Amino acid sequence: MSLFVAAFGFGLVSMSVIAIAAVGFTMQFGITNMINLAYGEVMISSAYVAYYMNRAGVSIWIGMVAGALFGAAFSFLLNRVVYAPFMRKGTANLGMVIVSLAVSLMISNLLLPIVGYYSVSYQEDAGRLIRLGSIILTRDQIIVIGIAVVLMFAIHALLTYTRLGKAMRATAANPTLARNCGIPTQRVIDSVWLITGALCGLAGVVAALNADSFAIANGSAFLITILAAAVLGGAGQPYGAMIGAVLIGLITELSAAAWSPEYKEVVAFGILVIVMVLRPQGLLAKRGALAAAG
Amino acid sequence: MNTYYAANLLIYAGIDMIACLALNLQFGVSGIVNFSFIVFQAVGAYAAAILSLPPDTANSGFQHYVGGLQLPFPIPWIGGAVAGGLLAIPVGFVVLRKLRSDYQAIALLVLSVIANTVITNADNFLGGAAGLALVPPPFSDRIDPNTESYQYLYIGITAVAVVIAFALVNRVVNSPYGRSLRAMREREIAAASIGKNPVNLKMTIFIVGGVIAGLSGAILVGYIQLWAPSVWLYPETIILFAAIIVGGRGNNIGAILGALLVPVGFEEVTRLLNSNPNIANLGPPNLISALQWVAIGLLILGFLWFRPQGVRPESRRVFEGGPD
Amino acid sequence: MRGFERFKLVAALGALVVLAACGGGGSTGGSGLGSGPLLVGVIAPFTGADAALGPAYYAACLAAAPSINNNGGVGGRQVSCQKFDTRGEPADAVPAANAMIAGNSNLMAVIGCTSDEASTVVPIIDRAHIPMFCMTGQTEFNKTTSKYFHRLVPADIYDAYAMVGSALYGPGHAPYKRAALVFGNDIGSQAFVAPATNAFTKLGGTIAINQPINLTPGTSYQTEVAAMLATHPDVILTEALGAAGTYLKEVKTQNGGQMIPFIGTSATIDPTWFQQVRDAIGVDDLVKYYGGVDLGYTFSGPAYDEFQTNLNAAASTFADAPKYKQRGSTLHLYDGIIMTALAMTETNSADPTVYNPKIKEIANGSSGATVVGTYKDGVAAIKAGKSIQFVGAGGLNSFDAYNNSVSGYIWVTYDSQGNEVKAGQMTPQQTATIAQAGGI
Repeated sequence: MSLFVAAFGFGLVSMSVIAIAAVGFTMQFGITNMINLAYGEVMISSAYVAYYMNRAGVSIWIGMVAGALFGAAFSFLLNRVVYAPFMRKGTANLGMVIVSLAVSLMISNLLLPIVGYYSVSYQEDAGRLIRLGSIILTRDQIIVIGIAVVLMFAIHALLTYTRLGKAMRATAANPTLARNCGIPTQRVIDSVWLITGALCGLAGVVAALNADSFAIANGSAFLITILAAAVLGGAGQPYGAMIGAVLIGLITELSAAAWSPEYKEVVAFGILVIVMVLRPQGLLAKRGALAAAG
Repeated sequence: MNTYYAANLLIYAGIDMIACLALNLQFGVSGIVNFSFIVFQAVGAYAAAILSLPPDTANSGFQHYVGGLQLPFPIPWIGGAVAGGLLAIPVGFVVLRKLRSDYQAIALLVLSVIANTVITNADNFLGGAAGLALVPPPFSDRIDPNTESYQYLYIGITAVAVVIAFALVNRVVNSPYGRSLRAMREREIAAASIGKNPVNLKMTIFIVGGVIAGLSGAILVGYIQLWAPSVWLYPETIILFAAIIVGGRGNNIGAILGALLVPVGFEEVTRLLNSNPNIANLGPPNLISALQWVAIGLLILGFLWFRPQGVRPESRRVFEGGPD
Repeated sequence: MRGFERFKLVAALGALVVLAACGGGGSTGGSGLGSGPLLVGVIAPFTGADAALGPAYYAACLAAAPSINNNGGVGGRQVSCQKFDTRGEPADAVPAANAMIAGNSNLMAVIGCTSDEASTVVPIIDRAHIPMFCMTGQTEFNKTTSKYFHRLVPADIYDAYAMVGSALYGPGHAPYKRAALVFGNDIGSQAFVAPATNAFTKLGGTIAINQPINLTPGTSYQTEVAAMLATHPDVILTEALGAAGTYLKEVKTQNGGQMIPFIGTSATIDPTWFQQVRDAIGVDDLVKYYGGVDLGYTFSGPAYDEFQTNLNAAASTFADAPKYKQRGSTLHLYDGIIMTALAMTETNSADPTVYNPKIKEIANGSSGATVVGTYKDGVAAIKAGKSIQFVGAGGLNSFDAYNNSVSGYIWVTYDSQGNEVKAGQMTPQQTATIAQAGGI
């Protein structure tokens, strides 16, 4: 029994890491209509930026900020240089997915000769072990959970209370109408890429910290989990992504405790498949995934 | 260039052509973005393997798997094709809803990753991570597979398979099914309004594509005599998609062209480059192989930008226009 | 010339021709060594999940080539090395092997062929009649019929027995009673579980938990470690390449900063593994709690010195080469290449069908053979008409009927620099007891 409680605690960490990443990903999709399969590679690139800084003696928390800034800049450039031109050209949704796949291939393979195949880790003392009943977490893990909670509230505040947030929601709902109402959609989209890029970069560093050691291959592995969480919650719905992250994070760890740990990801994805069969648009979406021609 | 290497290239070309024809059917003609395509080829290979392998106590019992029926050619190949078709049914069921195509795509991508993880961890089902080894190739009880004449034989049966696949795919594309599908692809609402049921049509095409994909897997496993999860990781699907995009989506000649240009041509050029010591020793040991993937990415982007219809565009039989 | 004289001349000439054509095991005979460069093919993964394997084998060839070339080459022919990437999967390995053979008529030997692809490439290389030295522990090669296959590393089960031996009889601790088996779900790792379980349980131990872990990158093993710790093992037996650092760090964390003893397979004697685990749990805990098993290398002697000198010199072509100075596979493949060169010299032939059988003889030695440690000494002994036995950087080899060579295991640990240190050795009785309990 205590194993389950401990697993629940680990699930909290897991879901925090996934949530930060999934919310960024799903906002990209919701507002710009772009399934950005290069998201995982941007994450891992940011993780490496923090790694080189860490090796030079910089604290990992500053590295996290650096990773977020790098992610923001990288994602912004990615959109300006690659995605936006293809979209303007009228490439269909599916074509854009393939574009982002091609980009992700290129990023990971350009990085490979530079950083090598070997796993690396951050030099970071994870801190004291804190026990709450059967839950065992380190200080760093609790900080990560705290960061995720703060960010979720920040995103909520952004979307609900700020002008930019409202402009984002309007653009997501109907870009043409939004533009006609005087919303500077180009600037909104730029902001979206910067903000979600920052989330992406931050998520990369956090995920690498949580995994203790990482290599280039982590990028694509993590992307699958993010996709699962985003699709589960309803693509394009930030709150859906949060719910998706909670479900995937908890189910993964609890099933590792209940059955064989080898299959823990499979169980989580199995839930995803069931949801897709029963409610293909995801838990929260009203529309979005359901469209006519595409 | 010796017989074995030439035979290798020809057989791989044949297998890739069959795979691209199948993917073209699923993606190019009926518009399903099957990012789990490689799983269909894998299922055909596994089926053919367990049909042709002896029971798993053979060879000192070093591997564990189900089946082991030791059936002669052509049953394993037919079994592989059937397996591919059978897999298409539940997969089609899950994704052939009113889903956006890009949404479908990522759902199938996730599915293919799950499948690979499950098979890797299920140790006694299909050999786990080590896979199935010492698969008997067709006619191996009568002709020694390690002879040149066997290579000619294998090229021959592969060629026959290519012809059959091509004929089948052509019939489908030029049949009323195919016409309805193209109509649907161009103007789905209009097609629905005259009574065409898109989901059934798509499902049929999806299954036929699955059958052909399974066949390609059976041919591949018969040649390399080993099948493991490492052979069917999801980037393999991407290479085949690149082939379709480069060759020309929606038409069979384009699919064949793509198969020759990308999986065969591109990969062999890289191998040639890598064999030149001056190039191979540039920079870190893996540079050329990593750059190959970068080049594939650039190839995809280049074609999508400059020539999205591919080297050989589909001959339009309807009026121009419509989303694509 | 009179008739009879001519007849005698012709007969003499004929006799000379016959004598020259008679091959035989001496340094006369054979059709000569030919000319032009010779190639050693390194067929292994250089990209993909197992990309770390290929460079270790490439380093072996880069070290072997100067040992041969600086001492006259093979009959003057210079040896060079070339990589053939299999990408770690059979469908790519097949064309790599075929291309290697088709494009190079001067292949003298092939090294590499790991578990990822051995089953497919061994028949290809065998039919081309090229001697190969493969790094696969897979059981299917324990009784192979391929004449050109040579395996200088033991089957995985022997590693497992050595680990059990370390748990039961190892130095510095009482016999462990409860063992946790933590092996990855990749091809190489799962072969250890069954023999280790059989041996350990039959000799009185308990397997606390058998926990195969998923080696997907980015997995954190928090729940797995919690489950493992809940079974209270005395020792962890492990090979989880790539995940070892993550898993062990989690063990230390959840156990309140206290590490549990862990025993690794011979694959954990590797600079990358050392660095990952050292970064994860710190060098002190690594040195204190780690036990490894390895074949009995001495890492000294003239053979090893020459190996190390040339390995360091290879850094100009391949910067990481010197890191592999204690890697078993690198040592063995180095020896394999040198033995091939010696076999060619001894049979005076560049025809693999002629010199391939000689490799085994040179390794096993016949009675009265001169023991040599370097290529230079070997060539000198051959020229003096002696038969030789090569004992190289990796030590003695002893090929059985199936071209598998097994030499004794020792127990090892690391020092703080990552160098292997011998900690103890199983006695022959202990080896026999475990092998019998495990069942070969």
